[in-house]
Amino acid sequence: MAQPPSHPDAWLAIRRPLLVAVVLGCAVSLMTSGRLSLRLAAPATLYWTFVPLLEIAGLAAVWPWKRSPVSFARAIDLFFASNTPWSLWFCAFAGVWAFFPPARVYAWTSSPWPWYPPALAIGLWSACLDFRFFRDIPGRTPARACRDLAVQRFIAWTGGVAWFMGPAAWQVFASRFGL
Amino acid sequence: MNSARLVSAGLLLAALAAGTLADRPQSRPPLWIGGYRVLAADFHVHSYPLSAGTLAPWDLVLEARRQSLDAISITGHNQVEAGLWGRWFARLVGGPTVIPGEEIHAPGYHMIAAGIHSTISWRNTAAQSIAEIHAQGGVAIAAHPVRGFWAAFDPQAMASLDASEIMQPVVYSFKYGARELREFYQRAPLAAIGSSDYHGMGPLGLCRTYVFARDSSEQSILEAIRGRRTVVYDGDGSAWGDSQLIQLASGRLRGREPQPSGSLDLFSRAAGLLGLIGFLMAGNRVVYSAKEKEIVPK
Repeated sequence: MAQPPSHPDAWLAIRRPLLVAVVLGCAVSLMTSGRLSLRLAAPATLYWTFVPLLEIAGLAAVWPWKRSPVSFARAIDLFFASNTPWSLWFCAFAGVWAFFPPARVYAWTSSPWPWYPPALAIGLWSACLDFRFFRDIPGRTPARACRDLAVQRFIAWTGGVAWFMGPAAWQVFASRFGL
Repeated sequence: MNSARLVSAGLLLAALAAGTLADRPQSRPPLWIGGYRVLAADFHVHSYPLSAGTLAPWDLVLEARRQSLDAISITGHNQVEAGLWGRWFARLVGGPTVIPGEEIHAPGYHMIAAGIHSTISWRNTAAQSIAEIHAQGGVAIAAHPVRGFWAAFDPQAMASLDASEIMQPVVYSFKYGARELREFYQRAPLAAIGSSDYHGMGPLGLCRTYVFARDSSEQSILEAIRGRRTVVYDGDGSAWGDSQLIQLASGRLRGREPQPSGSLDLFSRAAGLLGLIGFLMAGNRVVYSAKEKEIVPK
């Protein structure tokens, strides 16, 4: 049987979210300049902490605080294990931009097939892992685990789209719904 | 930390060191042709946050230097604040010239408003937006005007539009992109614009505009666009814009584009990716034990 985690709670809570932000920061540097430079990777890592922060906010919204089976720090650490597929996808995406001429990569983006099916597969894989997390750690029923997953995703993704896209997202939404 | 993670961390650090060493601005002496200062500019740049960009306005200013750009217009989606921040920072560090702008992200059209100071509503018609841009002293550039956007540019809008993107990543993405941008450009006497529509994928200034201005000030650049004094090279190397200026420049502009990356860059990207993937794979378990809750002290 594995040993209980020996790390202090604070480190446990930030190590995997930090890794997500570092991967995103490095991806930004690679895509923009074709190299990993501190000038780009360091600030981008800081800016892109909004992704793990929103994920943590979503998790906090559905976490059973009154009868928590593990500390919230440990829950964050376990929950973020499911980000690994996404992080690997971002590495691959950044690698394509870093190693190939941008004109060629843009030409590849005209077809959705190289991008969307892998992203969809990873989204499903990640959702399955998180479903298992909600079943196994807080011990949710299947229906409740689905609900928790949906609420967590809603908070993280709508928050992310609003922060990243800003007024353009509002324009699309408002135009679609006649607001 | 296990040995695989140590190796991965070492690779990442080496990649960062190599990339940081290679990260130097490509400075070139100012170019004067026919009495004009020729400036390389990118008029369609998005920033972080709230504009689907990956870098903050101040990072864009520094990145523009690395990409040998003399001027950029930071064009937030339906907001001008990012451009104002960028201009403040550029003035603090001595350039390049930053022109505050907005990409008016409207249902029927997208338009770059370069040289404005207040946000223009996306609920305007194209003609109304152009009138507001002009009232604020800016120039109106049709952003990636593919066929789907043409209906919004009625005769009134076309008569007052200043410029149109003829070179843009959409040219690479879709076979019809280049054809439709050229058809739109030829509908009226417009300044030719090349823009990267920078969102973080690919380099800033991938597509650029050569502006023939009196000097490198914001006002001179805007005045040059109004005067249609621009030259743009497309993917085939053909030049678009003012025919006299194209002849005058006679190939002197292409040599000013950024040099291909060197061996330090190659090492940085290869070692960086290996380091990241190694770090993710080594010890970062994707699947945890179902007994996890039993092994954690309550």
